[in-house]
Amino acid sequence: MSKDKLFGLIDLDWRFEITKFKPIRALFKSRWFPLLLIIANLFIFVVILVAGLMGGYSAGNYNFGIMLVWILWWVMLMLVLVPVFSRFWCTMCPFPVFSDWFQRGKLFGVRLGKLEGLNLRWPKKFRNMWIMNIGFLVTTFFSGFFTVRPLATFILLGGIILLAFIIGLVFEKRNFCLYVCPVSGFQGLYSQFAASEIRRIDPEVCAKHPVKTCFTGNEDGYGCPWMLTPFNFEKNTYCGMCLECFKSCPHDNMAFNLRPPGVDLLIDTKKSPKGLDEAYKAFIMLGIAIMFYTAFQGPWGGFKDMVRATTAKGYFTYVAMHASFNLLILPGIFLFFSWLSKLFSKSQEVTLKRIFINFAYTLIPLGLGIWIGFSLGIIMPNGSYLLHIISDPFAWGWNIFGTANLPWTPVFTGLMGYLQGVTLIVFYLFSLNYGNRIAKQLFPDPDQARRAWMPILTFLTLITFIFLWLFLG
Amino acid sequence: MKKNETIAVGLMIAATILTVIGIFAIEKFRLAKFYTLNLTARAPENGNWYPQEFTLPYGQKVNLRIRNIETVTHGFAIPDLKVAVSEIKAGQVKSVQFTPDKKGTFPFMCTVWCSENHMQMRGKITVE
Repeated sequence: MSKDKLFGLIDLDWRFEITKFKPIRALFKSRWFPLLLIIANLFIFVVILVAGLMGGYSAGNYNFGIMLVWILWWVMLMLVLVPVFSRFWCTMCPFPVFSDWFQRGKLFGVRLGKLEGLNLRWPKKFRNMWIMNIGFLVTTFFSGFFTVRPLATFILLGGIILLAFIIGLVFEKRNFCLYVCPVSGFQGLYSQFAASEIRRIDPEVCAKHPVKTCFTGNEDGYGCPWMLTPFNFEKNTYCGMCLECFKSCPHDNMAFNLRPPGVDLLIDTKKSPKGLDEAYKAFIMLGIAIMFYTAFQGPWGGFKDMVRATTAKGYFTYVAMHASFNLLILPGIFLFFSWLSKLFSKSQEVTLKRIFINFAYTLIPLGLGIWIGFSLGIIMPNGSYLLHIISDPFAWGWNIFGTANLPWTPVFTGLMGYLQGVTLIVFYLFSLNYGNRIAKQLFPDPDQARRAWMPILTFLTLITFIFLWLFLG
Repeated sequence: MKKNETIAVGLMIAATILTVIGIFAIEKFRLAKFYTLNLTARAPENGNWYPQEFTLPYGQKVNLRIRNIETVTHGFAIPDLKVAVSEIKAGQVKSVQFTPDKKGTFPFMCTVWCSENHMQMRGKITVE
């Protein structure tokens, strides 16, 4: 067992295997799971799409599509799914179901041999997060519409499903999920902090199994649709938790583990190196959180008008500000602190680029904490709309569950700022803890590591203070 | 295995095509009980009521569905027919059922001060 403990409390090597319980393993091995979850989710998304189309241009606060996607789904992703269950959303995501069906020719069974479609390989230079980074950033240019206009949400979700299908026709397996899906990118990034993982159990078992069925597939399950090698992958980033490896492993050597949050942040190996694409994803997510908070929950009405395109000039100014803040200003400020880090360390061996990239991973816990805080700011004032829209999903005067006439009721909004503040501080502490470890990984000399860490610690503290000010006003 | 595949495809069709058909079939069945008219509420500078003039059948039960597509609150009243909806909040849809018991042309209007042009947020309803 490792002696390295998170906050001196939890051994970083601690794992609790949930799949050691037979009913859970049986569930994971069943071909009905996650298929039934996906179909149930597809049903909900069909209702969302119909509600989005019917809701058209109207204000979205009583629209099922807007409320379910931006109030419930987004908040569930940030509050529970990603921090606790890693990419479990991808397990049940209905977006790629049509391309899977087309490629496999089957929904339930396993097709052996070549899949349908052109099966092209994804271009090597795009096997990273850059498309998702830019795609997600561009999507947020329209956030002032998606979150308030049902038709915009319909176009966004319909577009994603269509794009997933088209990419599935042309490229092999789940390349859409791996390299294009805007939801996938930030889940991949923040799932490194998640408190769960899928990993092989015993490396010896895999070593003695010459046919890697988790990668090649067999009659019980497909070879990893995410094109990973489940027998030796090291971090959550690109594991879509489709559970095919549980089905295709004849030795039941795959496990779903609970673990200390954030252990993937320390992974920096030849197989899974820290990369500039992931570093930029961390900046983009942090930058978007700052922009979103100021636009949607801050008191600056003029900025809100710009985001909502009250005037074309204001809107394009916002787009230019938003893009340059995320792609240039925020990374630029961090580059300055990284340069200070190099300067203070007096190290000749560690490059500025490596310092910049590796320390950018300290933004993952803090960024996730900020998004959780932002999500609390969404669900606590607006959650009661959900009771209305489940009864009247299309605003046609239905009252399915008798809750259609419940008034809007904010919940514990007086405590909201404090909850946001506490959340932020907890995740800041995680950032500090992992940042300190990353510094020691980068600089084997403890004095160099300590000196190099100081500017990054200052940056993280500044960001935390800015958000504490925003949250607590 | 083949049976499971058939069940999976059946569930898939139910979740997609049948869901869409079901939604519209339920609504059509529900509306068959009334003469239904959809009315969109917008401040005058954004287009005013739509439609601004419409006709209702005399003596038949009417379901008027008023959709406020804006981010301000509107109200609705046809004083001559004693019909009113006090508050239609931003984004809300309110339905009001009544039976027109007078023939003629009557004004209807917004009853909540919604903009500088609130007083012009009016329309005409003809009962015949």
